Amino acid sequence: MSDYQEYLAEREQIDLLIGEGYQIEHVTENLSGAFVDFKSKKAGDMKQLHIKTADGRKYFSVILINRNR
Amino acid sequence: MADLNTNLAGIKSPNPFWLASAPPTNSGYQVQRAFEAGWGGAVWKTLGDPILNVSSRFAAVSFNGQRVAGFNNIELITDRPLEVNLKEIYETKKKFPNHAIIASLMVEPKQEKWHEIVKRVEDVGIDGLELNFGCPHGMAERGMGSASGQVPELVEKQTYWTKEAAKTPVIVKLTPNITDITVTAESAVRGGADAVSMINTINSLAGVDINTWNTIPHVGGKGAHGGYCGPAVKPIALNMVAECARNPLINVPISGIGGISNWQDAVEFMLMGATGVQICTAAMHHGFRIVEDMIEGLSNYLDEKGLASVNDLVGKSVARYSDWGELDLNYKIVARINKEVCINCNKCHIACEDTSHQCIDMLQDSNGRPYLRVREDDCVGCNLCSIVCPVDGAIDMVELKSDLPPMTWNERQSAIGLLRQRNTVK
Repeated sequence: MSDYQEYLAEREQIDLLIGEGYQIEHVTENLSGAFVDFKSKKAGDMKQLHIKTADGRKYFSVILINRNR
Repeated sequence: MADLNTNLAGIKSPNPFWLASAPPTNSGYQVQRAFEAGWGGAVWKTLGDPILNVSSRFAAVSFNGQRVAGFNNIELITDRPLEVNLKEIYETKKKFPNHAIIASLMVEPKQEKWHEIVKRVEDVGIDGLELNFGCPHGMAERGMGSASGQVPELVEKQTYWTKEAAKTPVIVKLTPNITDITVTAESAVRGGADAVSMINTINSLAGVDINTWNTIPHVGGKGAHGGYCGPAVKPIALNMVAECARNPLINVPISGIGGISNWQDAVEFMLMGATGVQICTAAMHHGFRIVEDMIEGLSNYLDEKGLASVNDLVGKSVARYSDWGELDLNYKIVARINKEVCINCNKCHIACEDTSHQCIDMLQDSNGRPYLRVREDDCVGCNLCSIVCPVDGAIDMVELKSDLPPMTWNERQSAIGLLRQRNTVK
């Protein structure tokens, strides 16, 4: 899978969680990329995505910035 | 026709093209020939205690048929008594009153030494002084030139001493042989400099003769590091000028130096904040008359741009030069190959496949003709294919509209930091 395809898959997963009412709760970045914790606004449960592509890391950052605005 | 007159910290010149302090400005004969050819100013070869030189002084680096891509020298400052130089400066100034003559100076880092030379030089009617804190070879071994130019306190102190005695504007010429040139530029400003100039030459060894194992150049079988200049150093110089131009603490005019070979180079330096430029290697390579093309080219360029004066260029690109952390991470360009122009040499494919991001495919059309195509989704816009492409117009780098808003690294990190902060508070 090309980087771009991998990014699209990551973006889809992020969009899915956001669509289900999750929001970014915590971001851990390390040598393996970014681990983004999402928390459901209603149920309060957590889900984690391992974002490996550079474009994916840009994408969740945009969501985070937009939320802060 | 646009006005080419410049005024650098009070030093007026009929155009922005000055000869830098170097072998071309060693004597009155040379400087007068230069002014006759059209140069607006000249920084006289550095005055100080007359030195002894060695034989075999210059070397050049040629690259792929381009002669003098870089130039290296181990010549020191003037080897002529001060009186001889002053007499010739006086005569030259008398003959060319509207041209700028700046005296480059280098003495030991002692107050009385600076006071003495400043007074004697100003007596003959020079337009300004340039303190040579940059010469990296020979004189540096004696505590002068770049040796004192690498110590911010010495830059400040010597500038201050010069200003105590000087009646004309003082330009401080900085060495690039330092991690951050803005540190010494700030020191010069604190010492009272009216302007700064950069860059002096970069420590260098032009080469080693693989047959004789001698250095290039060598002096009877021995070599020493020299100062590197010429077209190869231009990007280094341009960055240093730009870094100083965008630093609010360096609020004095800049005289740009370093690999300027034509009017286009001069325009680039001026856009990045230089009020004027100094040139040496190009004149040593092609002679004084290259200034004719520079003046004509600059003048036509200004007319085409609708600018009334060359001064309208100064600093216009500075605001566009920032830190990496302020660049838009979501800005996207991709390569696009024009099949009609491409000669199918495959250099772009090889470069991309071997050393970049593997996104140029070698394909065949329905008639079996080969062609190259970029997979734009995978292209990161690195520019490498267009850089190695030998045919103008075969590859365009085109901007793609992003579906994401602009976002800088600093904005991103600040958003993640804010999230962390919130979690800590919870």
